[in-house]
Amino acid sequence: MSLQNIIIKLQEFWSQNGCYIASGYDTEVGAGTMTPDTFFRVLGEKPWKVAFWQPSRRPCDGRYAENPNRVQKHNQFQVILKPTPDNGQILFLNSLNHLGIDIRSHDIKFDEDNWASPSIGAWGVGWQIMCDGLEISQFTYFQQAGGIELNPNSLEITYGLERLAIFLDKRNSIYNLKWGHDISYSELRTKEEKQFSIYNFEIANIDFLRNIFDQYKNEAKKLIESNLYLPAYDYLLKCSHTFNILDARKAISTAERTTLIKTMRDLSSKIAKKYIKDTGKNNE
Amino acid sequence: MSDFLFELGIEEVPASEIKNIVFQLKDNFQLKLDENLVKFKSIETSATNRRFMIYISEISEKADDKDEQILGPSKKISIDDNGQPTIALKKFMEFNNIELSDVIEIETKKGLYLCTNKVTEGLKTHDILCKIIPEILGELRFSKTMLWNESRVPFIRPIKNILCLLNNQLIELEFSGIKSSKFIDGHITLSESLIEINSFKDYIEQLGKNFVIVKEKEREKKIINEITEIENEIDVNVKIDDEMLNYYIYNNEYPVVFKGNFNKKYLKLPPEIISTFMIKEKKLLPVYDKNNKILNTFVGVSNIPDEKRFVSDGNEKVIHATFEDAKFFWDNDRKDNFINLRENLKKINFQKNLGNFFDKTERLHYLVDFLLKETNNNHMCENIKQASYLCKNDLVTRMVREFPSLQGIMGGLYLKEMNSEEDIWKSIYWHYEPKGFTDKKLEHFGAGILSIADKIDNITGFISKGIKVSSSKDPYGIRRDANSIIKVIIDFEMNFDLYKLIELAAEKFTKNKEDKKKLVSQLQKLFLSRIEIIFRDLLNFRYDVVNSIINTHDILSIYKSFLKATDISKMVETDSIDILISLHKRLKNIIKGFNTFFISEDLLMGDEEKILFEIYRESKTEIEKLAINNNYIQACSKIIEMKPVIDNYFEKVLVMAEDDKIKENRIALLQSLNELLSKIADFSLIIESN
Repeated sequence: MSLQNIIIKLQEFWSQNGCYIASGYDTEVGAGTMTPDTFFRVLGEKPWKVAFWQPSRRPCDGRYAENPNRVQKHNQFQVILKPTPDNGQILFLNSLNHLGIDIRSHDIKFDEDNWASPSIGAWGVGWQIMCDGLEISQFTYFQQAGGIELNPNSLEITYGLERLAIFLDKRNSIYNLKWGHDISYSELRTKEEKQFSIYNFEIANIDFLRNIFDQYKNEAKKLIESNLYLPAYDYLLKCSHTFNILDARKAISTAERTTLIKTMRDLSSKIAKKYIKDTGKNNE
Repeated sequence: MSDFLFELGIEEVPASEIKNIVFQLKDNFQLKLDENLVKFKSIETSATNRRFMIYISEISEKADDKDEQILGPSKKISIDDNGQPTIALKKFMEFNNIELSDVIEIETKKGLYLCTNKVTEGLKTHDILCKIIPEILGELRFSKTMLWNESRVPFIRPIKNILCLLNNQLIELEFSGIKSSKFIDGHITLSESLIEINSFKDYIEQLGKNFVIVKEKEREKKIINEITEIENEIDVNVKIDDEMLNYYIYNNEYPVVFKGNFNKKYLKLPPEIISTFMIKEKKLLPVYDKNNKILNTFVGVSNIPDEKRFVSDGNEKVIHATFEDAKFFWDNDRKDNFINLRENLKKINFQKNLGNFFDKTERLHYLVDFLLKETNNNHMCENIKQASYLCKNDLVTRMVREFPSLQGIMGGLYLKEMNSEEDIWKSIYWHYEPKGFTDKKLEHFGAGILSIADKIDNITGFISKGIKVSSSKDPYGIRRDANSIIKVIIDFEMNFDLYKLIELAAEKFTKNKEDKKKLVSQLQKLFLSRIEIIFRDLLNFRYDVVNSIINTHDILSIYKSFLKATDISKMVETDSIDILISLHKRLKNIIKGFNTFFISEDLLMGDEEKILFEIYRESKTEIEKLAINNNYIQACSKIIEMKPVIDNYFEKVLVMAEDDKIKENRIALLQSLNELLSKIADFSLIIESN
């Protein structure tokens, strides 16, 4: 099955299960969790069901297109179900079934993996889902976002699309995957992976990045003061991506890491509070 | 008699937590049933990551009746002058709903009182269980909890079902918004729908049919047997430790062992890296040939039968990517000059308020220098000191950042790749070892030296920050580090006084003499108690032998103390020890309570006394020399040789002479003899054989 068919199938399945099919976000994010459709919508009391395809950037994971399943930009399929359904695991297994996976012939395991994203003050409890030893999804009961305890809790299911495709297409490497019709993953992505790996690990201008990190941070602060928490959040996302490149460049010491993460967490917490105040659902 | 079956169905609980939860459940059921006077025969438990089962056999249908004595007012205030009940007594009777005939007198410490015996009928077991099960579940403690539904009850993972059958009848109760029912889940993928359970027998049978082997022991046996089959089939050794076995047992309700192969080109990676990546990243086991050489084969445990080989094929593909990752870290780390990474250690904190790792390596350098000189190993100085500077560099490599358990090992491997001296890379490779007294002996002396330095620096740093070790808590591994130091010293027969090392280490963490003194004394106490416990419980020296040496001045010369305990242990098997015991007891008895005096030769009276003094003077030098050379058996023989002279002295000479000067001089001689013996051991503390 091609990658685009997997996306279509997942959209179909989750649409049938009551999700609104959103578009992915257009600012660099490390994971679907960081999109406004997740970060803001898990806050407050209002029920929310969303599913979308989200390209995600992780500069440290770049491998110069030489690793069979690790890349600095991969594709996630993100699902948020709020409040958490009673049958989350079964829904997930049914979605695999919908993709044509015979779940009775494969070793599907819910393996402990508690997820945390300190820079947006978010964490959850759950599992990575292994299929014959391959991690294909994360399954998380969201506990906090922006440092705020969530009530009700949301269930987040994140599929790793490349991993799923490798599995479904019985490939050894993501570069052998088909995206759709005659377009191969390799054709679409090899140059990008090579160039971004060189940039992230070797070339990225550290002084420049430090400088824009500070500017993004200041912009976010100003926007928070003006109650414009949505654009403020965009600048927080830019801080986070800049931080990730600096990290890939090994430019961040342990002590500095703590400070920078705290800076971002504090911003996220202020932004979350503004959102709750604005939408009138105070959970604190 | 009834029986009681309980199952808590739950979404996958981390394998590492399960034993602890089972323990708490069993303990709490036992406690609460006892408290409520419910009798039963036994509590059986079973658990997987998806269910916790409790089965209680022969549980009584109601709790025992409770006999209670209810104390009322004192007799004095209960009966008035006319012998009639007072208000106080009337209220007591009214409150307890009793007649005057139910009231009896009892004698208490405060005088005569009135009381009544009341029998409370035991509640139905059904009602008690209804009440205590939610309590038991609510009181469970987990390392981390989560919230998931409207009940807002924190638990380790979402609860799916509560099965609760007393005498095969459903007990209706609710916890965390989940109502008890007769329905349970089977295997996550192999079982179709909810299963109705009507009895314990039913439970076991139904689970068996639905691919759940509920008993841990059976799953363990299945895993071990299938691994052994593979070992025999292809003539290899599969390495599995308790942690991995536990992981497999609890993470699979229907464990099936499978094997697979990977491309031989990855065998070019160091075997330490291969096995770490397999175990930590992929939960697969490395496989070795009969010469302990790692092979391109792996073994894993699946939660379903793998007849179509989907599981092993899938894992073969996945492990390929994992080794690519390993290769990426290994190749990229080697692009950096490993020696130069030391500068980066300035950016990593050793511990909060204890400086960075660069500072730590400076201290290690200093301690290593001392240790090598003390143990007469100056020839190794250059290499091991170099190792002490470089031993933490791997903390800034990608590999160790990703896999902290490879610390030390990677430093060693990176230096080996750079053709560094064997003494340098081997010292670093093993310097985090041993991890406790029962661990195996280090393979390299230099690693032993570096290990002692690293560990004494850890211990001293933590204790200087006020971190305490209690019987149950030792989060910083202080006790384990101390035990490891003792082990290395004994293993490598290192003849030096740990007290001196403690002083040096303490100097680096204190600013003034007073603080240093306090820290040194804390460390001394720690090591004394570790030596005592290790000698007695792990080396199996007799407790009285350990007592006899534990307060000697050179106990912290640990290797010496070990040899001494060994020699004394040999002697306690012979009769000669009795001579030393009675002699030492006699000396201590006589000199008890006296100040210390000094011998004046002029005041020695009579032949017996003069001869004893002469012999003492001659033997003293010899005995001390023998003790320095750790020849304790001979040293003791020397003392025993003095016995006739000492006996003769005691027979002929009255120590407590009338003249104080003479008396004090005689005491002084006996004090000197006592001191000579005490330098070896306090023999008076050894228990005589007959």
